[in-house]
Amino acid sequence: MSGGGDRVLRARNLTKRYRQGEVWIDALKGFTYDFPPGVTAVVGPSGSGKTTLLNLLAGFDRPTAGEVFLAGHPLHALGEDERAGVRLTSAGFVFQSWNLLPTLSALENVAFPLLLKGIPRRERNERARALLAEVGLEHRSTHYPNQLSGGEQQRVAIARALALDPLVLFADEPTGNLDSAAGERVLELLLAQARGNRRVVLVTHDLEIAARAHRVLRLKDGRLVEIQGDDPT
Amino acid sequence: MELLALVLRNQKARPVRSLLTVLGILVATASMVLFLSFGEGLRQALASEMTKFGPEIRVVAEGTGVFGVPNPELDQGVLDTLRAHAGELGIARLFPAVVMMKGSGFDPATTFLFYGLPEGVTPKDLAPAARLVAGRLDPHPDGAVVGKQKAEQNRLTLGKTLRLSRQAEVPVVGIVDAGNGLADSFIFVPMKLLQRVLHTDQYSVILVYVAPGHKVDEVAARIRALVPGVDAQTTTEAIKYAERAIKIGDVIRFGISLIALIVGGLLVANTVMMSVYERIREFGVMRAIGARRGFIFRLVLLEALLLALAGGAVGVAAGYLGSWVVNLYTTQAVGLALSAVTPRLVLFSLAVALALGLSAGLLPARVASRISVVEALGRL
Repeated sequence: MSGGGDRVLRARNLTKRYRQGEVWIDALKGFTYDFPPGVTAVVGPSGSGKTTLLNLLAGFDRPTAGEVFLAGHPLHALGEDERAGVRLTSAGFVFQSWNLLPTLSALENVAFPLLLKGIPRRERNERARALLAEVGLEHRSTHYPNQLSGGEQQRVAIARALALDPLVLFADEPTGNLDSAAGERVLELLLAQARGNRRVVLVTHDLEIAARAHRVLRLKDGRLVEIQGDDPT
Repeated sequence: MELLALVLRNQKARPVRSLLTVLGILVATASMVLFLSFGEGLRQALASEMTKFGPEIRVVAEGTGVFGVPNPELDQGVLDTLRAHAGELGIARLFPAVVMMKGSGFDPATTFLFYGLPEGVTPKDLAPAARLVAGRLDPHPDGAVVGKQKAEQNRLTLGKTLRLSRQAEVPVVGIVDAGNGLADSFIFVPMKLLQRVLHTDQYSVILVYVAPGHKVDEVAARIRALVPGVDAQTTTEAIKYAERAIKIGDVIRFGISLIALIVGGLLVANTVMMSVYERIREFGVMRAIGARRGFIFRLVLLEALLLALAGGAVGVAAGYLGSWVVNLYTTQAVGLALSAVTPRLVLFSLAVALALGLSAGLLPARVASRISVVEALGRL
């Protein structure tokens, strides 16, 4: 299962074990996959290890064992700050909720990764404005998150995720809190981002949504049990 | 700069809490400024007082405190010796005086300090800046010249009678303005009269003007060497002596204000800590996007520093106002501005406020910067 050998997003024998009270839980067991360009959906029932997998792929957490490479960087061997640095330049995120910083306007939220990267204000705002236009929200740039609808908030989050043109886009139940019309718009926007060498990893429990991905990974009890779709290997 | 904008945005989002915290620091800083301003005021008052006073050396009996009211213990022999050796000692002019205090000594309104001057000496010789307000300047032969301050306090007008003892009374013959100096609280009377009241022919003090070209300290040393049993006290000595006392006072006052400061510091720590806990998800999002620990640390620390500095700045202003009010009272009561907010006090207070913010912000900043993304975003 090799997606290109360029280590843009590759997991080898990825395992996560953690303690909950007195019990040890094997949240992920030996996950191995090389994500090819395009949209990869990760499905499975609740507790199957989807969120844990995304935590490890994005470098939010470190694996108990195994290797994970993001944009060529060995996340399993890096410290907190180094992983943050890799995330900033190589990954974008859209979560189910609570995506935006409440004290910043839509424009400032989109510009935030650019600020972290040290890009001058003018350039930052120009790029953020262009991204907001891309998601159809240029007219809402001065609005704060609490003045935006759920769908609009997710679109701002997508614009922000694209700010530094990342190789990988992670989306965790991005339409989970939206009505079907708003959800459809967000989903289309996300799917459209799988351009060129970019990988979009879409975690969902909705099989209809998963069906629109290039391929689907099915997790069960922390194991990868099935791969459907155009897996190039 | 960008970080500052973020911090300000956050403060604006929680205006009441920010304001209350700033108020806490304000009270702490203002009380410190006010407490310490007394030391500064005393220093300034003392220095200006000493320079307003004409004679550079006061000769008193050994054992008299620098600021004590001297007893009439100097005899004619001391005066004669000093007069005989004036030239070689470096003395331009000297005259004896008798001092008597009546009243408690604690309340300036009921304390009367009588200064007995010999013939030919007027209040102007003691306080060169003195200006006649009413009547005449010379208390001789049998009158009293009252300092303006004292006159106003006790409603003494020309012609009123002052009672020195059961047998001795003098009418007020002049009122003199010594420019808010100590002499403004004195009552000048003929020396002979005071000696009669005290049943003595001795002197309390011999006031000495140093001749041009001589150093005050050296003249004082020569007097001490020449006349046994006397002390020659100089203005500089007096200031040094007072400085020591003021310093001790400073330490005590700072100790008291430290309590307020610690409370203020805890207030900032509490506010910032609360705001960190409230914003755990926010910090989680920042970390997820790619913010490093240092970024979050600086963000939170800057928040604490900003709160402390804002409170400190307004606190210094409030302390200044307080000091002004205190002076309004003390100039009326004792003729001295006892409180002063000097530039170094302002700088010191701002530095303390800043240090307060820094120490109050360190722990919350550390906690915020160590939040794990997984926990903060509830992704377990």
